Amino acid sequence: MTFSEKYKDEIADILSRYPVKRSALIPLLYLAQRDHGHVSEAAMKEIAQLLGLTPPQVYETITFYTLFNLKPVGTFHIQVCRSLMCALVGSDTVLEWIKVKLGIGPGESTADGLFSLCLVECLAACGTGPMMQINDDYYERLTEEKLDRILYDLRSTGTSALKSGPFMWPEPVGSADRPSS
Amino acid sequence: MPKHELILLKNMMQPGYTGSLPDYEKTGGYQALRATLGKTAPADVTATVRKSGLRGRGGAGFPTGVKWGFLPKDYHGPRYLCCNADESEPGTFKDRQLMERDPHQMLEGIVLACYAIGAESAYIYIRGELVLCSKILERAIDEARTAGYIGKNILGTGINVEVWVHRGAGAYICGEETALLESLEGKRGLPRIKPPFPATHGLYNKPTVVNNVETLANLPHILTRGADWFASIGSPPRSTGTRVFCVSGHVKRPGNYEVPMGVTFRELVYEHAGGMRSDKPMKAFIPGGASAPFLTPAHLDVKLDFESVAAAGSMLGSGGVTVMEEGTSMVWAALRLMEFFYHESCGKCSPCREGSSWLVQTMRRIMAKRGRMEDLETLSDLCKNIAGRTVCAFGDAEVAPIQGTLKYWREEYVALIREAEAANLVMPEPVARG
Amino acid sequence: MTPPTTQMVSLTIDGTKVQVPKGTLVIEAARRIGVMIPHFCYHPKLKPDANCRMCLVEIEKMPKLQTACSTPADEGMSVRTATTVVNDAHKSVLEFILANHPLDCPVCDQGGRCDLQDFSHQYTPTTSRFVEAKRIFQKDYFSPLIETQMNRCVQCLRCVRYCDEVMDVKALAPAGRGTMTEIKHFGPHPLDCEFCGGCVQICPVGAITSRLSMYEYRPWMLKRADTICGYCGDGCQITVQTKDNQLIEVNSAHGAGRNNGDLCARGFFGFHAAAHPERLTHPLLRRNGTLSQATWEEALEFVAERAGTIKAAHGGQSFGGLISGRCTNEELYLFQKFMRLVIGTNDIDSSARYGHMNSLYAMRRVQGTHRWTVGFDDIVAADVLLLVGTNITETNPITGLKVKEAVKKHGAALVTIEALEPCIEPVSNIANLSRRHLSVSTTHMNDAVLGLLKAIVEQNLVQPDLAQKQPVYLSALTNSLRQLSWETVRVVTGWGPDVYTEAAKTLAAGRQVVILAGQGLLRSERGYSASLNLLDVLLLLGKLDQPGCGFAPLAEENNDQGAVEMGAAAEFLPGPFDLTDREGRHRVASLWKAEPPPHRGASLVDMLDRAGAGILKGMFIVGENPVGSLPAHLRVDESLRKLDLLVCQELFLTETAALAHVVLPASSSMEKSGTFTNTEGHVQAVRPAIEPIGESRPDWEIFVALSYLMGTPLEYTESRDILKEIRNLIPGYGSLGPSPVPPKVDRTVVDRYLSGGYEHDLAARHKLNVPSARPDGILQLELVQSLFHSGKLSTRAKGLMQVEGTGTLRINPRDAARYGLQNGAWVRLSNAHGELTIPVKVLERVPQGQAWFPDHFGTEAMRLFHCAINPVTRTPSIRTTSVSVIKVA
Ligand SMILES: Cc1cc2nc3c(=O)[nH]c(=O)nc-3n(C[C@H](O)[C@H](O)[C@H](O)COP(=O)(O)O)c2cc1C
Ligand code: SF4
Ligand code: FES
Repeated sequence: MTFSEKYKDEIADILSRYPVKRSALIPLLYLAQRDHGHVSEAAMKEIAQLLGLTPPQVYETITFYTLFNLKPVGTFHIQVCRSLMCALVGSDTVLEWIKVKLGIGPGESTADGLFSLCLVECLAACGTGPMMQINDDYYERLTEEKLDRILYDLRSTGTSALKSGPFMWPEPVGSADRPSS
Repeated sequence: MPKHELILLKNMMQPGYTGSLPDYEKTGGYQALRATLGKTAPADVTATVRKSGLRGRGGAGFPTGVKWGFLPKDYHGPRYLCCNADESEPGTFKDRQLMERDPHQMLEGIVLACYAIGAESAYIYIRGELVLCSKILERAIDEARTAGYIGKNILGTGINVEVWVHRGAGAYICGEETALLESLEGKRGLPRIKPPFPATHGLYNKPTVVNNVETLANLPHILTRGADWFASIGSPPRSTGTRVFCVSGHVKRPGNYEVPMGVTFRELVYEHAGGMRSDKPMKAFIPGGASAPFLTPAHLDVKLDFESVAAAGSMLGSGGVTVMEEGTSMVWAALRLMEFFYHESCGKCSPCREGSSWLVQTMRRIMAKRGRMEDLETLSDLCKNIAGRTVCAFGDAEVAPIQGTLKYWREEYVALIREAEAANLVMPEPVARG
Repeated sequence: MTPPTTQMVSLTIDGTKVQVPKGTLVIEAARRIGVMIPHFCYHPKLKPDANCRMCLVEIEKMPKLQTACSTPADEGMSVRTATTVVNDAHKSVLEFILANHPLDCPVCDQGGRCDLQDFSHQYTPTTSRFVEAKRIFQKDYFSPLIETQMNRCVQCLRCVRYCDEVMDVKALAPAGRGTMTEIKHFGPHPLDCEFCGGCVQICPVGAITSRLSMYEYRPWMLKRADTICGYCGDGCQITVQTKDNQLIEVNSAHGAGRNNGDLCARGFFGFHAAAHPERLTHPLLRRNGTLSQATWEEALEFVAERAGTIKAAHGGQSFGGLISGRCTNEELYLFQKFMRLVIGTNDIDSSARYGHMNSLYAMRRVQGTHRWTVGFDDIVAADVLLLVGTNITETNPITGLKVKEAVKKHGAALVTIEALEPCIEPVSNIANLSRRHLSVSTTHMNDAVLGLLKAIVEQNLVQPDLAQKQPVYLSALTNSLRQLSWETVRVVTGWGPDVYTEAAKTLAAGRQVVILAGQGLLRSERGYSASLNLLDVLLLLGKLDQPGCGFAPLAEENNDQGAVEMGAAAEFLPGPFDLTDREGRHRVASLWKAEPPPHRGASLVDMLDRAGAGILKGMFIVGENPVGSLPAHLRVDESLRKLDLLVCQELFLTETAALAHVVLPASSSMEKSGTFTNTEGHVQAVRPAIEPIGESRPDWEIFVALSYLMGTPLEYTESRDILKEIRNLIPGYGSLGPSPVPPKVDRTVVDRYLSGGYEHDLAARHKLNVPSARPDGILQLELVQSLFHSGKLSTRAKGLMQVEGTGTLRINPRDAARYGLQNGAWVRLSNAHGELTIPVKVLERVPQGQAWFPDHFGTEAMRLFHCAINPVTRTPSIRTTSVSVIKVA
């Protein structure tokens, strides 16, 4: 089944939000990436067709943005923030931990294809660094123990309870996670 | 506990507050909308906002009511509101909290802004990484639509406002309002030449307003409690209201703190954020996100308002305050930010594109103890030649870290270069022109 | 609507006051007074992008430096371009741009004509402060014709913007971000696009270059000749660059010619045809049944003697002459003079007969001109355009650009009636820009025009004046059109009254309406009727004589228009005058000091028939190949074999030339002087770029030589002499300045037409073509024009053959699926006339139920076609046939 047949309704819903079709490009690329883990050439062509664009128009757009993978990535795609604010509170150390624990450096994947690693710039979690994003989820205020648990959880259950919920920092008084002053 | 009244963070500070529609309504949510839509003329809403003195919280600090006033009066086609939820400025993490913890506050602001400017569609352009946040927003929009606050014929007033979440896909520059519009149109996020401004030629070339999340979240309060109330908070007349400052770095209690504009950095850092995390004293701080030049502890008594920070040689920007303790290498810190800017330059303008790569390489070389004294002059020349010569303000932003650190900590650069000279590493000869 | 007035603003640039129309950019205003502001990304054809930041200037009252390329001049503005601040800014921007540049000028094809090189000599010191590692891109194979060297790219995006804004092709993608942005195409295969060469031309540095001429030269070694492209009727001005009599490259300067510097693949990459190794370099003479090399003396004497004998025995009228519409006006003129005066026959024709004649007859009959009453500029300025059967992108690509400009830049409303499906493919598709597109098969073009006419009269869109002044004409048309049933219109064209009404209303609302008709209509069996009907559309709407409005039929070959104006037709004397026109005959006779023959001669197909019947004994065929271009059932080869004398003047040994008694090597348009008249009627100078190949000679010289040997010397020593004589007949021919002044409609002719002239064939013109149902498994085979070729000449151009080297059958994806076919699969086509096995190419733009075959590879395919002759214009129509299709292993 082609992409457009498989997601007929969702595509129609996306298209209905915009008066000009091309606006649906990024949402459709997300849909293709969700479907496939990365955006394939075939998907780009199909999306171009859906939107009345030439494939190069899709290509120029997709390559501008960092969140699209043109090649397959690991089941768990780890993105460690390396920007100054996280670096001040230890993101370089987090990177070292991951390198040691998974045996991969930025741009690499584990042999089993489970994890891939990359460095990213600021993810709007500077007050709760060091932090990383794995697939859709944020993991903040990382420590080595926390990292171990996250990796363990992901390996065993595919998800981890340590991921961030609705963000607020500092937590209001009465919350368990409030830092002591 | 804060000494002043909280406005934006008030609800979420209540124990048990989930940000759901019933929770929001219980705190008086959507009353501003009920009281305004169809009852106050849109032009009067704009007038109120202008009078409140509210200035944009996205970075540039442009007066919001004035911006709305630039939309053409006699134009009858579609108009758009774009909520700038791209929050990508290193050091900034307030919008994420405002959206994830109290989404309806901002949504109510969006509908009010749409009403004021006559827009029937609003797009929330949210940075792509914030997946949870966009889910929360989608859910909140559904709730509000079901309750009749969003959609066709809102509360029977005949007013229509549709709100959609549009995820970006990883590009800092898309926070710049015209790049945001390009991106929203499905293109590469390259800033447009201005003029024309979005107010006349924005999304799909139609009149458009772009406002930051925090800016919009202020609206329900201004409309409920009045322009005068808002204008009395902070340091009137130029910097009114509160701001949510994001404190990060070497402090005890990093996080978001809402304070009236005009309190000092000292108060923010030492009272709210708990002071330095260890016994090392403060060495430097960034007052307004990565694009703002570094300041020194000598500036701690500068007031947190637009004018005072500008007078101190930096800017209030996005409200991201990053604190660094003694022992932090300023060259290293500037390099880290420079690497960010190099990564994020969209590449449209040659000074920014080539300049960022040149700066980053030179900085890396200095950091790696392969620098030369001439590099310092080149660095400051390059900064001068980039700033003010590009399409968007990114060019000014990217040189801020280097200019700021060169100004106050030049000796750190010199020390690294002296080490290089001592090690006598051979530099390549200048390249001859072909 | 009143035409917009141009408001002027005055500003000061470096102290000099200058007045410019409001909206003019500062960089353009400066240029007007000779102040050149350095720039890379600015180009007058493109929307400002202001990305290079090179053009910074000081503007009073503005705190920052501004980009001159994006700032419109404003009243009272004061601009300074020569201050230290500005100069320092230019230096520094250049320093940035050079930072990552490889400085490989010695091996760069742009070296010597590179903006970057020029500016850096002007501004920068000889050493760079940049000591870091330079950005290096991985080298990707780009395409067989175009090479990219991305390390040299300055990211001005002119190529990408041109490909989108001007061409509407959008084949280039700036991929990546920041310094690592590089210009790419999509996918792992080589670039697939229109190959217009625009990106090569517009790149200010050496980042995109032509592979056809890589590393062969340095610009200053080249000799250049400004001339006119010999391929299609658009008549583009090209600059041919040569070295040691070798063709190196072709380009066209911005602003040059009717094409304004734009070219298509044929013009840019097709120039090697002239230098093909198979060019005839010596005369050939048939001895003992085989053609063998001869000297010019032998060959010409043979012709003169044999022709003399035949003429003595059978009279001049036993000769016929056929000439290509690719020859120069001078040659066409001299050819008909030679045939009429030296030989004594009116049996003359040219390739204009294939379709151009249909529109010409219609224009003469309705508006009294043989030319457009509009020019390219009117197309650009039009607010409503109707295209009928043009497939303009592939046939007349540069006229197509004018249409694109009107729509994309000025928002003109485009209505298209085309045998074309809108779709996105590597070759752009004009239907995509259409406000109302009616996909209609070529066999029903006229029916669709009738639908339009019917909607015009039924919706009362007729110009009110007309109803008063010409009630009879109007009621005759109205009554006749009312007879047509909408139901039948819908059945045959696929569109109903609502759609025709919408289209008609769009046309009626236009201020400047131009109707373009192309081969799909002009070469169809009812091309003449349809042309008349389109002129009726303009008449009814009251537009025919309005400024900026008109009918613009597209000429296929570069000089089809000239062929008719020069009288290279049985029924026309130069002018063109009707052969029977007293005053015309008189003027010709007094100039020639001899009467042209009186009887109307035979045209193309009739001539061949007469050869077959033994009436014609001798033929002169110049650059035409009727054996290869006409359907097999006409048995052209048999007819030609019967001749006592067949003389061919040719570049190559074509199927026709192979039958000749004498083959005389002719020079191509790259090797001679003269003029061409383009589709809009603009006469332009052709200049030699290289010396004639081998012993080849320009055709006109051959006629002169023969005329001497035959005893009626035509005395000319250069082609200018011939042009002078032409000007005696057509005052001012070819000296009209840079743009044509189109003729006005002849009111007396229009009035004659309206008061009865329309009548005699009205019923026939208003008849819908109701076909018998086509059985399943049958496709309508269409001979079409490909963008990458023109006639058969282009199949000798190595560049074009790399893009399209063989004839493929183009079919719609749904038909492909129906027959189980994929790209490259082979099919056998057959019908009562014969069969053909060819590979398939699946293209969405081909309408369902049709199959397209490019004419240029058509010799084999001609056996499937049937030829219908229009009784009035004698045009052979051979575009369409039905075939059954089966897949072969
Ligand atoms: C490089 C750059 C990045 C920006 N990023 C953001 C951002 O992430 N969020 C934001 O609200 N404004 C950002 N801005 C500011 C916007 O351009 C714009 O001024 C703002 O959205 C207007 O809203 P406001 O008036 O409510 O502040 C950025 C500006 C620049 C030049
Ligand atoms: S200043 Fe930089 S980020 Fe802004 S438009 Fe120019 S190149 Fe892009
Ligand atoms: S020419 Fe003006 S910015 Fe490039």
